[in-house]
Formats: sequence, C-alpha cells, structure tokens
Amino acid sequence: MRFAILLLLVFVVPSRPASGQIDLAGEWSPRVYNTHVDIGDYTGIPLNEDGRLRAEAWHPDQIDLPENLCRPHPIDHGLRVSVSQLRITPELDTETRQPVGLRLHVAWQEPEQVIYLDGRPHPSANAPHKWSGFSTGRWERNTLVYTTTHLKEAYLTRAGVPKSPKATVTTRVHRYGNLLTIVFIINDPAYLTQPYIRESSWIADPNQVIPPFPCEMSPDGTIVPAGKVPSFLPGRNDVLSEFATEYGIPLEAALGGAETLYPEYIKKMKTMKVVPRTTTDHFRRAQ
Amino acid sequence: MQPRRVALLVAALSLPISAHVAAQGAQAAPGAASGTARAAAPYDTTGYWVSEVTEKWRFRMVVPDKGDYTQVPLNPEGRKIANAWDPARDQASGEACKSYGAAALLQVPGRLHIYWQDDSTLRLDTDSGTQTRLFRFGGSPPPNAAPSWQGHSVAMWGGAEPRDRRDGQGGPVQDASGRLVVAGAQRKEPDHLKVVTTRMRPGYLQKNGVPYSGDALLEEYFDVFSDPYTRSTWLVMTTVVTDPRYLVEPLIMHAHFKKLPDASGWDPTPCRADEPR
Repeated sequence: MRFAILLLLVFVVPSRPASGQIDLAGEWSPRVYNTHVDIGDYTGIPLNEDGRLRAEAWHPDQIDLPENLCRPHPIDHGLRVSVSQLRITPELDTETRQPVGLRLHVAWQEPEQVIYLDGRPHPSANAPHKWSGFSTGRWERNTLVYTTTHLKEAYLTRAGVPKSPKATVTTRVHRYGNLLTIVFIINDPAYLTQPYIRESSWIADPNQVIPPFPCEMSPDGTIVPAGKVPSFLPGRNDVLSEFATEYGIPLEAALGGAETLYPEYIKKMKTMKVVPRTTTDHFRRAQ
Repeated sequence: MQPRRVALLVAALSLPISAHVAAQGAQAAPGAASGTARAAAPYDTTGYWVSEVTEKWRFRMVVPDKGDYTQVPLNPEGRKIANAWDPARDQASGEACKSYGAAALLQVPGRLHIYWQDDSTLRLDTDSGTQTRLFRFGGSPPPNAAPSWQGHSVAMWGGAEPRDRRDGQGGPVQDASGRLVVAGAQRKEPDHLKVVTTRMRPGYLQKNGVPYSGDALLEEYFDVFSDPYTRSTWLVMTTVVTDPRYLVEPLIMHAHFKKLPDASGWDPTPCRADEPR
C-alpha cells in the first residue's frame, strides 16, 4: 500500500495542470505614452469611412458641453489618455465574501471596471450599456484575458475618433515582475475595418495614492451657448489638415485606414502629395 | 487492491495528463530535443511576422523631425545629442545602422523571420536594415565580447520566477480545480519569452537621432496570442530600455506583429539614416 501511495505522489501530483495565475492586485503607476492628441491625427487607426466622417465632425468645444464636463471615459480609453494611475483589487461577492473577480479603478473621473472570473454570462444584448461595460475573463497561463461588452458610445482618441456602442474590447493583462502590460484589442464593426490593437504599461508602485476626482458642473454653465452643439459639417472642417501639414505627412495617410498600418505603405506615401510645411517644430508644444 | 494493480491504475490515470503536458511542448517546438530551450517553448514564436503600426505612427512610419523626442524621458545630455542629429553625417560615416540597433530595431516597420538556429538559440532576422538578433538561452555574455549593433542577448522562458510581492492581499485566481481563491503560493509555468541584451553599440531609439548609450540595458518581453475576432496570431513585445547616461527613467515601448503564412513581402533594405525603414 505504501508503494501505491508513493506512486500516487510521483505520478498524479506532478501531472495536475498548473494553475499558475499571477497576482495582479495592487497600485500601478502609468508609463503611458500617448499620441493622437491633434485634430486630424487618425494615424495608425483602421478607420472605415463612417468612422472617419464622425471623427471629422468632432469639434474640440464639445468637451465643454454641460453633459460632457463630467463624462467619464470607458476604462479602456481612460487607461490610455488621461491621468491613468491604476488600482487593481479583488472583487468579492457582497453576501458570501468569496472572490468573484477583479476590480479596476482609474484616477481620472474614477471609472471602475469589474472583471468577473466566476463564469457568469454576459447580459442580454438589450441590457443597458455603461461607461465601463460588462466584463468577464479567464486566465491563459499567467495572462488575464477579459472581454468587455455593453459599452456606451465613446472615443478612441482625445481628438474625437469615435467608438460605437457595438464595439467590444478584448483585453490581455500580463505581469512581468513589477511591470504590467495591458493589450487592448478593440473590435468595432461600425467604425473600424479590423481590430485595433494597442498596448500600455504600468509600474508597480505600492505607495501610490490615487486622489479623489470630484467633478461638478459649474453653476455658471460653460463657454458653449445653451442649445448649441459645436461640430463641423461634412467637408467643412477647416483644421482637419493642420496635423498633416505641420508634420509633413500626406493628408490621406494622416486620416488612417488599415492600409496605413503596414510597412508597404511607406513606399506608397512617397507617391503622395504633401502640402508644403508651415513649421518644423509643431511638436514642441507637447514637450 | 494489490500494490501492482494500484501502480498500474495510477500509471494509466496519469498517462493522458502527462501526455497532454508533453504535447503542449511538442506543439510549440516540433522536432526539438527534449530538455532544451526549444523543447521548453510555451508557444511558437517562429515564422514570418509583419509589424502593424497603430501607435507612435508619426515616429515610426515617417522620419520624425530633429528634436522631436516627445515622450522619451531624455536627460539634458541626451537632448543635446538628439538636437545635434545629422543623418547625412551618419550615412557618410558608416553609422547608418544606428537606428537599427537592438533597442529600437523592432520599432522599425518591417518583417521578421524568427527560427531556431539550434536548440538553444532563437534567431530573429529583419528585412528592414537586414539585421540579425540571436537570443541565446542559458549562460551570460562573454566578458570580452565586443559591442555590436545587436549586442549580446540572453534569453529565458519567463513567468515561473518566484513572486516578488506577497502575500495575503493577492487578487483572485483559479486553483487547479478551477475554483476561485485568493492568490497564495502556487506553482507556475513559463509563459513568455524574456530577453536581456547588453553590450550594444550606441544607437538611436528613434530614427531622428534620439540616443541610447553603450551602457544601456535592454529588457524585452514577448507574448504570442490569437485574437478572438480574426483568429490572427500576434506577437506582442514590451521593451524596457534603461540607460543611466541619457534617460532619466527607463523608457517603455511596445510593438506588435501579425503572423504571416510565408515569406511573401520580405523586402530587405540596407541601413538608411534618412528613411523610416
């Protein structure tokens, strides 16, 4: 019998599948380098015509609309474009106090996202959409992989490139020691011709303190007159080409599209018209 | 039950599981000798890949303007060098490969060909700049190795290292039976490729002469996955450049590549100081 027990230990125990998931909980300090801050900078985004049309209609004064002053970003966008200190904590069932997933908290506008890891299904397609949607995940070896649905319409960039409520986001979270890398795979059948992949990283920072982010609408209103929604009508965006002109990029290339993502496009750009530059230090305002 | 019967039963029960584990390695590295780095690969990095530039497009698909080091944590000495960039001088002096060094090579748009040179050396060729990187598993850089554009790279399958922050406050993970528990001490298996590169010749982090020095340390993490929307296979890397001479803090960069069925589109170029690739 002892021999049998020994064999059990030798063969069965090592043969069990390794669980191997990694601990993601903690405070994470952003090392997020973000471009796409200029109107007309849609570079590297696989936009379709509808997405481009919506982006071109966006006016920066829309940020000052009363309903937009305290509008949060969805967390996949908030983690990229704003003050993006990140806190990850276990999410416990309110009654049993058993873990059911993870909760992400981001600094700017304090969006929260719960990633359920307990196998629950996504809600019906008709369920309300929220800023951070509904997320369920699983582990692939040490990588947390989760899918977010039921997102509200939002933006892909700070300069008005849209993301539709049909979009879903698959997110991969990988911890390399004290480095956290998150890969976002955005699939938007309304505005993109193919999934849009982008990555960001954070550094473990146990002493990080994320301050509260109170946001109130000013009782005096905003600079935008009541009842007005700033926008550009199709073909009337008179600042659309500024980014391309100032960086010496063909306008067609600056407006994105799947073809522009690949190395072959470098040759094609050499055949395109580039408007004479008005400056060569446009970038300095961002330094 | 007789011991012999028990032994046979236990062995029979464990065989399919062991075979499954072994098959995972075999799937990643067909034909590899057991016990080698190649056999231990958690996934298959080999094949042809093409870069997809979705970020920092204006720094990668075109040559950025002189002095545009936005988002690079340069110190004053690094800025001074970047502000003095002269591509014509680099080209004329045989230094055109400075922007194809290991720290920035995978930021240059192009294609990769990755294959096992032997059971412990993963080779990465690029068509842009016609460069070769060798990821050597095991060992350490030879003490007198001469600096080169691609430096000396030591590779390992990462992810199974002891944890560096513990305990009790961990997030929920799944145990062996799939039950959610708060993280505790658990056995892990390698799940990514980590490459550490030193002994690099001084080069550029961007095409426009943003420098890294010969003291720079390059750490890279590679992950392979399939996206759920197109089922394409992707190679994603996170790059950390630590350079006490020119950077005030480590620079973190990313790049991702889509797997290709074959070598079509492979377009070797020489090093060019004034071209994006």
